[in-house]
Amino acid sequence: MSYTFQFRDVFASWAFLMQGLGITLYLSTVTMLLGLAIGVAGASARLYGGLFLRSAVGAYVEVIRNTPLLIQLFIVFFGLPSLGLRLDAMTAALISLTINLGAYSVEIVRAGLQAIPKPQIEAGYSLGLSGFQVFRYIVILPALKLMFPALASQFILLMLATSIASQISVPELFHAASIIQSRTFRDFEVYSVIAVLYLTLALTLRGVFATIYQLAFSQR
Amino acid sequence: MSLLEISNVTKKYGEVTVLDDVSITVEAGEIIAIIGRSGSGKSTLLRCINGLERVQAGSIVVDGVRVNDPQTDLRKLRQHVGIVFQSYNLFPHYSVARNITLAPTVVKGMPEEKAREIAIDVLRRVGLEDKVDAYPNQLSGGQQQRVAIARSLAMQPKLMLFDEITSALDPELTGEVLKVLEDMARSGMTMALVTHEMGFARRFAARVLFMHQGKVWEEGRASEVLANPRTPEMKTFLSAVLH
Amino acid sequence: MIRQFGVIDVLFLVSAIRWTVLLTLAAFGGGALIGLLIAVMRVSNVFALRALAICFIQFVQGTPLLVILFVFFFGLPIFGLPVLPWIAATAAFSIYAGAFLGEIWRGALQTIPRTQWEAGSSLGLSFVEQLRWIIIPQAVRIAIPPTVGFLVQLIKNTSLAATIGFVELTREGQMTTASTFQPFTVYITVAFFYFLMCFPLSQWSRTLERKLHVAA
Repeated sequence: MSYTFQFRDVFASWAFLMQGLGITLYLSTVTMLLGLAIGVAGASARLYGGLFLRSAVGAYVEVIRNTPLLIQLFIVFFGLPSLGLRLDAMTAALISLTINLGAYSVEIVRAGLQAIPKPQIEAGYSLGLSGFQVFRYIVILPALKLMFPALASQFILLMLATSIASQISVPELFHAASIIQSRTFRDFEVYSVIAVLYLTLALTLRGVFATIYQLAFSQR
Repeated sequence: MSLLEISNVTKKYGEVTVLDDVSITVEAGEIIAIIGRSGSGKSTLLRCINGLERVQAGSIVVDGVRVNDPQTDLRKLRQHVGIVFQSYNLFPHYSVARNITLAPTVVKGMPEEKAREIAIDVLRRVGLEDKVDAYPNQLSGGQQQRVAIARSLAMQPKLMLFDEITSALDPELTGEVLKVLEDMARSGMTMALVTHEMGFARRFAARVLFMHQGKVWEEGRASEVLANPRTPEMKTFLSAVLH
Repeated sequence: MIRQFGVIDVLFLVSAIRWTVLLTLAAFGGGALIGLLIAVMRVSNVFALRALAICFIQFVQGTPLLVILFVFFFGLPIFGLPVLPWIAATAAFSIYAGAFLGEIWRGALQTIPRTQWEAGSSLGLSFVEQLRWIIIPQAVRIAIPPTVGFLVQLIKNTSLAATIGFVELTREGQMTTASTFQPFTVYITVAFFYFLMCFPLSQWSRTLERKLHVAA
């Protein structure tokens, strides 16, 4: 069976694709910031909180990490209205993605904090530093350096996962592609193009994060 | 009143007794060396003195302050008790200067300039003033250990504890560290060393304590104890170590 | 006709789980074959093979799974294959699993010290023989915990097959919602079933890893 590829129609809608890309980046960035905040709060609760707090955060992490993102999205967007809370697609996506990312961030932050060698913390205490001072001067910067690669990976994964928001009609890149597909019937071409777009974005982000890491965390 | 009084201290890890009714007294300006096999409880004893480990029975009093009293402010105590570890434990993300000035500025509220002066001063005492702005990963093991000593000295402690500080060093590097200890000994610092360096113990320690299975097995003047071990355990230990 | 969400709907959902499991197993099977190939290519001495494997992994890991799925679904007719959701899903998930398993297994292989390879070659074993008798047996133990962990990811990701019409648990959930108009109850139930499948595996992966570190 012969088949002619027609990419022209896809490139004609380039601006529309770029709009979608913008939404993808917007979703990723906002979710990352909020999700990281949850990660820090959750990790602190897990490490320093009482039994109830630790169990609650533990349960949250386990439930989110053992259920699909798509279902979490459906629960927020389709399920909550039957409880009286109706959200628009963008807000529902932001909330689901944030809750999802938060669970993974808790583990990343926790691992970073726990990786600081105990002997150094002991040295801090032995010099007379208080718990808070030990955290601020001895734990935080090295922990950030340890967490950075994992958080960078997580951001890229998140950026790719925003494509799932297309299923509730959030106008990000994948959804834009679906629209173009329904208009031009160039299905294989349009999805191939966005595959390349996503890949380029992922590789670019990886390079950007690697550069930031070198600049911020390498010693003179 | 002695500077350090350890009375009938017992410590257990679960079922295992690590310290068994240990009593030691150290006067101001005195230097004691604690020797023994690994697992004899020597390091644990040191860590109990500055409150890093808790004891189940007995008491430890440093300059009149009871260490194992829950009311005691350990932070204040630790400003007077310095400890140097086997693995130096320098903060890798800070320069040598910052490693040393951290505690004086943050704990004592000292202004930066004064803290830096003190840092340069203690670095001079350990022979490393030219490394003041270097980073730990640029230094050799012996240099890092000397910085660790300087870091503790900067707080001007009354008592210095040393936990096998030369054990992790290559043989060529122990000399420079021991020289620093000798200078400290001559200047009158009260020191308690857990060590394998018998030569140093014989020359500088007023007393040597041999620990075995959580108890102080033998104790006495350095020259006597090392030359004439009384118990078979100590004889075995010395013959193994003094090769 | 709207009906109440009752036992019969739960049973429909449960029967759909069978398709989730089958898709997972098929993807894992295909992915394991691809992954093994990729892992070996990654550690081989031939630059071209290594480069090819790296490109494959980068491509798959840098593209959303949804996109891979759709590319396969709409690309099938080009290659003369019938446009069936299960074929597209199996192919796409196998490729996806192949890249990730390849990376995991490559990591396990590389944990084995150089000296083991050298000992093998000094005894006269070829590259493939070294792999088969010395390296892979040791690497398998190390690879099991992260592989089980990935299995959890795979189960969750099969939910995306719903978007191309493959009737597994998620799709069944969508259809149940359409006939009962109780999205919250339905999707919570669906989530619960995924949790029942994934949580034990996650715990097992963690236990395996702990035992491994203690043993090593």
